[in-house]
Amino acid sequence: MLGVLLRIPAFKLFRRLGRPRVLPLNLTLSPSPKCNSRCLTCNIWIKRENELTLEEWRKVLASLGRAPYWFTISGGEPLMYPHVVDLAQSAYEQCRPGVINIPTNAILPSIPETVERIARSCPQSQVIINLSLDGVGEKHDFIRGVPGNFEKFEQCLEQLRAVRRRRKNLTVGIHSVVSVFNVDHLDEIIAYADRSGADQFITEIAEPRVELDTVGLPITPDAESYAKAADRLIRYVQSKRFRGVSRITEALRVEYYKLVKRILDEQDQVIACYAGWVSAHIYADGTVWPCCVRGDNLGNLRDHNYDFKEIWFGKKIQAVRSSIAAKECHCPLANAAYTSMLHDLATLARVGSRLLR
Amino acid sequence: MWPSSGNHKGCPDNYSLGKHMAFDWLDRFQHRLEKEPDYARKSLAAYRLGMKAKGSIVGVMVQPAPECCDAARRLPAGKVYHPDQAPNLPLPDCPQGRHCQCLYRPVMSYQHPD
Repeated sequence: MLGVLLRIPAFKLFRRLGRPRVLPLNLTLSPSPKCNSRCLTCNIWIKRENELTLEEWRKVLASLGRAPYWFTISGGEPLMYPHVVDLAQSAYEQCRPGVINIPTNAILPSIPETVERIARSCPQSQVIINLSLDGVGEKHDFIRGVPGNFEKFEQCLEQLRAVRRRRKNLTVGIHSVVSVFNVDHLDEIIAYADRSGADQFITEIAEPRVELDTVGLPITPDAESYAKAADRLIRYVQSKRFRGVSRITEALRVEYYKLVKRILDEQDQVIACYAGWVSAHIYADGTVWPCCVRGDNLGNLRDHNYDFKEIWFGKKIQAVRSSIAAKECHCPLANAAYTSMLHDLATLARVGSRLLR
Repeated sequence: MWPSSGNHKGCPDNYSLGKHMAFDWLDRFQHRLEKEPDYARKSLAAYRLGMKAKGSIVGVMVQPAPECCDAARRLPAGKVYHPDQAPNLPLPDCPQGRHCQCLYRPVMSYQHPD
């Protein structure tokens, strides 16, 4: 983690001056859009792609070296991807990330075993598995479009908690997408998560994304509804006592909820976005995006000999970076927001002062 | 066409859609993206799969660009197509080719609660 903090000045210069040229520390890999959920807030599952093979992924990961600290293996449903263990292991062996983060819909019965294999094969990385929970009971099933999903969620959580007792590098969390469909039921979700025995409870606001084919769909709560929900989430985090690294992550979480409130209210890029400098996304077919919301095609790794650097330090990305820096976009994407917050001095000062209290 | 509230078929009791926020910049931004050569084939195949596999997609509509060609302007406004019947974008005579700014949009069941 210290290595990440030491790289912040370099990223700030990179964004401002274009030098020094640095590879991203936060990378999302989407090996396949296939998914067995039918969520109201996501249409990625309808897509089919000419997916990178495992061998192609290995070449891409080799080109990144030790730059990435945080990998998210996303989907679709990432634990449905047949080579997910090999992909995680390859990322681990070639990049030695501090964190490998994987969301899951908790449907497949094989998930606990797959997760244990990932945790075993990446022993020096923290493996974070976040189970999606969008409601309690039938509300969850309705939003996720899968009858019986909530029951499977509960079974999967219990089994993963047992795996966690054997694998100290495993964190099991609950992740909720706050949308128009559940913003009024958030208290119920918080209460459930609190007594669930999960290590963490995180939320993200549902937002339109090019990746998910949800642009224009009425899924994002209005600013007023979300503000109430965020205040509730902040009170929840502040009511808990955390130790060690969790104190930092929870302090950042409070900042994130406040940031989203401001983004929805001001309709502006409230703090400088570092997507395209610090974070990036590699889609299933090898296309590199600065983020999954805009989904700008920065180039396909197949056309660049699987060398991420060719795209990252190439010409095409410069116009996209100019657009992001000119605040032509704004969004509350959590993955990018957390890395951007690390590069915002005011946010860091508030986090620091909270930790000193 | 999007309801600010109202019950939705198949939903649990006491359920309603709340007010929502649009990200207008993203809508405009996506219109400006250059289309892949297989945009129509790939998009319509996805919507076809979506309808077949019992998601909440009920069809596809064409969202014309503000400065679209005459042919796009003549398309029936707001018409929901089955993917097999939707016109191919870019339309055959569109002078903008892959820079055509018209888009497909999925139509979801919760946008049509009746």
